[in-house]
Amino acid sequence: MKKLMISIIVMLALIAPLAMAGGGAERAARDGVELDFWSWRVEDVAEYNELIRRFEAENPGIRVNFTPYQATEYNTVLSAAVQGGNAPDIIHLRAYGGLEQYAAPGFLMRLDDKLPLRNRFDEDTLRAVTSVSDGNIYGVPFASQTLVIYYNSRMYNELGLEIPETWDEFLSNLEVMKDAGITPLANGSAEGWTLEVMHGVISPNFYGANEFFDAIMSGEAKFTDEAYRRSLAKLLELRPYMPDGFTGVNYVGMQMGFINEMAGHFIGGSWEAAYFNSQNPDLEFGVFAGPVENRGDTRYVSSYADGSFGASATTRHPEEALKFLEFLASQETGQFFADELKLQSDIPGVTSDDPYLQRILELNENSTPYIQLVGFRYEQPTGSSLLQSGLEGMMAGTIDAAEVTRQVQRGIETWFTPGQ
Amino acid sequence: MTFDIKLKSTPPLKLAVYFLFFALMCVYVLLILYPLFNMFASSFKTTREIFQDPFSLPTAFSWDNYRQVWFEGGFSRYFLNSVTVTATSMAIVILFGSMAAFGVSRYKYRLSTLVYLLFLSGIMLPLKAAIIPLFLIVRNLGLMNTHLSLIFVFAAMGIPSTVFILAGFMRTIPRDLEDAARIDGCNDFSIYRRVIMPLSAPSIALVTIYNMVPIWNDFFFPLVFIQRDRLKTLPLGMSTFFGQFQINWALVFTALSIAILPMLIMYLFMSKYFIKGMTAGALK
Amino acid sequence: MNQRSLSRNAWIAFFVTPGLAIVAIFIILPLFMSLFNSLYFWRGMARLEFAGLENFRRIFFQYPFSERFFNALGNNVKWFTTTMLVQNTLGLLFGYFLSRRIPGSPVFQRVFFVPVLFSIVAVGFLWRLYLTPGTGLVNQFLLQAGLGSWARPWLGEQAIATYVIIAVNIWRWLGFPTLVFYAAINNVPQDCLEAAYLDGASETRVFFQVIVPLVIPAIMIITVLTMIGSLNVFEQIYTMTGLSGGPYYSTDTLGTLFYRTAFGGVDTGLPLIGVGSAIGVIIYLLTFASSALAILYFRGRETEL
Repeated sequence: MKKLMISIIVMLALIAPLAMAGGGAERAARDGVELDFWSWRVEDVAEYNELIRRFEAENPGIRVNFTPYQATEYNTVLSAAVQGGNAPDIIHLRAYGGLEQYAAPGFLMRLDDKLPLRNRFDEDTLRAVTSVSDGNIYGVPFASQTLVIYYNSRMYNELGLEIPETWDEFLSNLEVMKDAGITPLANGSAEGWTLEVMHGVISPNFYGANEFFDAIMSGEAKFTDEAYRRSLAKLLELRPYMPDGFTGVNYVGMQMGFINEMAGHFIGGSWEAAYFNSQNPDLEFGVFAGPVENRGDTRYVSSYADGSFGASATTRHPEEALKFLEFLASQETGQFFADELKLQSDIPGVTSDDPYLQRILELNENSTPYIQLVGFRYEQPTGSSLLQSGLEGMMAGTIDAAEVTRQVQRGIETWFTPGQ
Repeated sequence: MTFDIKLKSTPPLKLAVYFLFFALMCVYVLLILYPLFNMFASSFKTTREIFQDPFSLPTAFSWDNYRQVWFEGGFSRYFLNSVTVTATSMAIVILFGSMAAFGVSRYKYRLSTLVYLLFLSGIMLPLKAAIIPLFLIVRNLGLMNTHLSLIFVFAAMGIPSTVFILAGFMRTIPRDLEDAARIDGCNDFSIYRRVIMPLSAPSIALVTIYNMVPIWNDFFFPLVFIQRDRLKTLPLGMSTFFGQFQINWALVFTALSIAILPMLIMYLFMSKYFIKGMTAGALK
Repeated sequence: MNQRSLSRNAWIAFFVTPGLAIVAIFIILPLFMSLFNSLYFWRGMARLEFAGLENFRRIFFQYPFSERFFNALGNNVKWFTTTMLVQNTLGLLFGYFLSRRIPGSPVFQRVFFVPVLFSIVAVGFLWRLYLTPGTGLVNQFLLQAGLGSWARPWLGEQAIATYVIIAVNIWRWLGFPTLVFYAAINNVPQDCLEAAYLDGASETRVFFQVIVPLVIPAIMIITVLTMIGSLNVFEQIYTMTGLSGGPYYSTDTLGTLFYRTAFGGVDTGLPLIGVGSAIGVIIYLLTFASSALAILYFRGRETEL
């Protein structure tokens, strides 16, 4: 026993300094300034490090540490760090309500008086990086995302299918695949947010896209309106084409189904392309917008600003942080995102001859805000969280579309005042 | 135990019940061992092989996956961090916990019940539900992003049950031993160290196992208090790793094996003491 | 005399203070702080004016908190009852059989305790892979065993998802009650049992009328630990079905609801510290009250030898 106690105490004495060393050691950047840069893009580490390498080459004396966190944990980690006074110097922020959460309490550096952003970006883009409570800009716009339907073009060729325009054509394509023994649609419903994306692709063409969005923001329309209910019910018609046991298929399962060519379609966001390519370089795929009711109807895609880059209000190196933000706002960076990550950069002047990106831009000619994210992610309960869980219930057959719309409307009414 | 099962004199119905339970226990053993074996076997397969036939055995043994997870995945560092944090917290739990148990059980004073109840309430109160104020305290003490934050919180989690179990045990130690030691000129600390602690050894083994498992495995507090990658503990690092590589089942199974096997191997060597600690004079 | 008691008090302080200080700062203080926080309005991390019981009112009466709260509480109750009925009953019976020196008893003891050592994160993730609908081990096994009709999206079906997660947790933890009961039954004095058998009592009678009453302290400890554990389920849900307790809230618990409300997620909006703290306080009170009740209940039933 005595030996045990002594060894424990010795161990304690040996280990304690190690444990304490943690905080201090890495702060010391001997020469020059070190900036911490956090993000949720775990998939893009290599690309971000390359971007940073270019910045460091142009700006000797500044070093940038890129640390990504899992998307589902990023918010917890970031809010813990920011509130704990350990905010990173450069923060990859979400847009709209996600930005507001950090901007409103004053955790972020005001940018409009320091960087020439207001004149460079259009109004819709700026809205994503502007705090609704004080009207100031807190982030450098990063990229826009578009919600689309991916299809496996090799399968389309083999089965002699054409890109569908109407809802019925789309369903008949799915039917052909099913008959051919292929899972037509990779999507599952185990993770609610993938259902919200599915709704973002399919529903706008049935609820009336921009007109409905404006009406709902001004209070003339409600989510319980028939048009919105019907647009949700459309998703039910896709159930027969989803994988067996789709209620248990999660995001990773969806990606694996499409990447390994077990499924012919994938309803998702424009950010998937780079990942699909990297995981299976032989995969041939294309994208199209959500189908419409009748031939000739305007075909809308949901799109939104995916996030922005901000700086902590408490950074010890504001000058260097601004320099890096300026770099992130440059055309060079925008071009890099377009070329390397196939992202639709919001930075003016970025061009791309990549056929995939051109196609995305083409689809964006008729775009509508991704409704719950753009408009209803400010307070709890958010439209997104209500819709996601509701759709899980609807796809499982526990509740109907009308009940989902009631839950969303009732939930957001607790904090949302139309017309603001 | 004198009443071992006597097969010959047992009526058939009863025998059937015995058999049922024996079979049930065998099934549980299989349910424990096979998934672990499958996990280990899968770590040597490719993701495609796992999908095609999850039951097949690996065709070739290569430690590449392990090398990748251990070095590039950063598991060597996570592992070391977990060892550091767990060992330090456990040392504090055992030292301060046993001292407090001694102070509560071997003296008679008016406040002793109150002190005992304060410790006892620590067992019943779920610390997770107080994460927000705990977070503020850790921040104000300047412990964010240090292992010390985890060490203190884990110590606080472990001390109450340690006091509860050890105090219960120490109460049963006869007072004569203490008096004899006092006559020999021992002061209170040497009584604690030379008389009471050696006698409490089996209970201390129990307390160590009981507290070490949740501390080693805790995911929640590192998630909130540790953001720097180089300070992460194994469960947190593992969760991050899963996020990045979850499409590659072969690597995921490798990471799971790395997380689980060291504990298993350590247990195989120490299982005698584990079981003894769990069963001998533990729950009074 | 005075000198003596002074030094005695100093010794007591020396022994008790370090442990008490840690517990006071990191457990008792946060408890009172969350009680305090739950009585205020918050905007993000900024504390606003005094709110009285408004945050509690929102939890009990305002949509959607009220529905979420009672739904989550219901699931916590499911956790407790299922764990008591299946895990702890099996644990008691297994413990009893092990104590009867059945063949292989030491092997069983050792193997049963293996999963207890594993982290919830690893176990949750491992079983999430095994329970995947298409490629997972469980459905593949059923398919190959000719039981294909039993295959299902285990974690995706509202009616069973919670029970599946509980089953995984029982898989992990069954060894603990088994060994505790085994130890307790082993400590039952031999002469008691012999006397009972000599009186001609059947084995069932001996089990229920001699053994069970004598292991009440162990039953109490296991019950209280199960209560505390059931009210604080979090990691199991987090790793297997995610923070929102899907599908359609069917696996939501007070732990995940608390976490979502107090910390927010990607799409859950501003954190609500006031409401979150109130949920935390309710978890505290429920845990405290139920374990105190359980202790009182069993104390009344304890058999002293």
